[in-house]
Amino acid sequence: MRMLPRIDGRDPTPPKNRCSLRVVALPLTSAVAGWFAKLGRAYRITLDHAGALGMLTWASIVAIVRLKVSGREVLTQMHVMGVQSLPIVFVTASLAGIVTSQQGGYQLVSSSPRYVLGTLVVQSIVLELGPLLTAIVLVGRIGARITAELGTMVVSEQIDAFKSLGRDPIAVLAAPRIIAGIITMPLLVAFADVIGVWAGMLMAGVSADLGQETFLYGARLFWHSWDLFYGLSKAVVFGFVIPLISVHMGLRTKGGAEGVGLQTTQAVMFMILTILIVDAMFPPLLLQ
Amino acid sequence: MIRYKDIHKAFDIPVLQGVDLTVKTGEMFALFGPSGAGKSVLLKTTLSLIVPDYGDVEIAGVSVYDGPPGSLEAIRKKIGYVFQNAALFDSLTVFGNVEMGLPEEELIKMSRAEVARRVWDALEIVNLDPREILRKIPAELSGGMKKRVGIARAIVGRPEILLWDEPTTGLDPINTAAVERLIKRLSRELEVTSLLVTHEVEMGLTICDRVAMLHSGTLRFCGTPQEFRDSPDRVVRAFVDRAAAFAALDMAAT
Repeated sequence: MRMLPRIDGRDPTPPKNRCSLRVVALPLTSAVAGWFAKLGRAYRITLDHAGALGMLTWASIVAIVRLKVSGREVLTQMHVMGVQSLPIVFVTASLAGIVTSQQGGYQLVSSSPRYVLGTLVVQSIVLELGPLLTAIVLVGRIGARITAELGTMVVSEQIDAFKSLGRDPIAVLAAPRIIAGIITMPLLVAFADVIGVWAGMLMAGVSADLGQETFLYGARLFWHSWDLFYGLSKAVVFGFVIPLISVHMGLRTKGGAEGVGLQTTQAVMFMILTILIVDAMFPPLLLQ
Repeated sequence: MIRYKDIHKAFDIPVLQGVDLTVKTGEMFALFGPSGAGKSVLLKTTLSLIVPDYGDVEIAGVSVYDGPPGSLEAIRKKIGYVFQNAALFDSLTVFGNVEMGLPEEELIKMSRAEVARRVWDALEIVNLDPREILRKIPAELSGGMKKRVGIARAIVGRPEILLWDEPTTGLDPINTAAVERLIKRLSRELEVTSLLVTHEVEMGLTICDRVAMLHSGTLRFCGTPQEFRDSPDRVVRAFVDRAAAFAALDMAAT
């Protein structure tokens, strides 16, 4: 296309045809600047979330100490998080036990005493798979639900309505969910441990021809009560982290339905990442 | 008395740029302005639902943002807020929603029968039949009914001030007229100070003692309805003419 001469008399030729050196130098500079800008933005966002999570925790503690939290609401949330999650936790824990038992049997039986399979299944389930898989299931079932629910309340001004009526949304919506999470999660993990070990023991009998007594002998041989405490400690922390992050993300929702969807997705990613990081911090802290 | 002092608020762009406004006790006041002028933002700063970047709001001489501890909670209990889309709690019945409008301290002291009577009375005041709707959830109500339940929730706690955030938005002309009559009647009967944010210019000019207009984040006009109609300000004139044209179109469509 032919370019018409400009009224101000400047050369209308695009700059890239006039000075190629500048064209090369600029993207490099702007790429570095962009990289620093992204780093700064990530740092600011991390600090922003950390500060807001700290404030939410403090506000929840204050609401609990001032007895502003409804016991009935805590029980309702425990029912939603605990009782209603039992079927999916049962399925997940059973499959975890079955797969661990099968793979352990495949790898160990030819080279180690067969009772080691009992040790392997119990230690894997109690120390790692029980708490972690239950937490990830709860992220999808409860965390996403809380974020979407509160996000919808934000965009439909229901949270503003709470505040305008002189009610504290933290005491009514956040604290009961956090308390319920802390109480329910260890119970669910204990349930998952029992189911996982039971399923693993049954599968050991089928796939490795290992009797229940031999399996339990192996399980008891390297058993420490500390292991159970370790697994349940993780559950308590996960039970605190999931509702805390999901409430925090839900209350920060902006926009309409699209905002709720986006915030829910981000909340799920945030929760899973946090759970994996917390999980990685446990061994150096409690398994020394 | 509600007093907005030099309110500034920006989101990505400035929304309010130094708004000073006083609504006198017992007055019925309307705030007009085109979409995005910052009317609802200003209304929400009254209860600290949106915190201004600069400036303060005083309710009966008590600062919302610089008052003693607990003053915000006390201020919120004095004010009834009617939300644009009613903002009813989805999981609660109509009874539960209206009951939430009663202050917590009063609820603890009141018997269940007394609570039920207050809820019943509030629903009757807004021309709803409690027998019919008390056990319904918001999803089972029409738009007009939701608005009225929202109004019942706002008045059940016997507030001294009522804030109305576009109470007729999204309603058909019949319901708009009904809500308009309701606003006028409630403000007189309950002897409250009312601040009404609305697009319905004619309604505001008809039922309010004084009106103001926000434009581009600043207060463009403040005076009586007659002064507003006669204003020589070209922005005010353009707004009045446009509102009249839309009202005529709306009427023709109906």
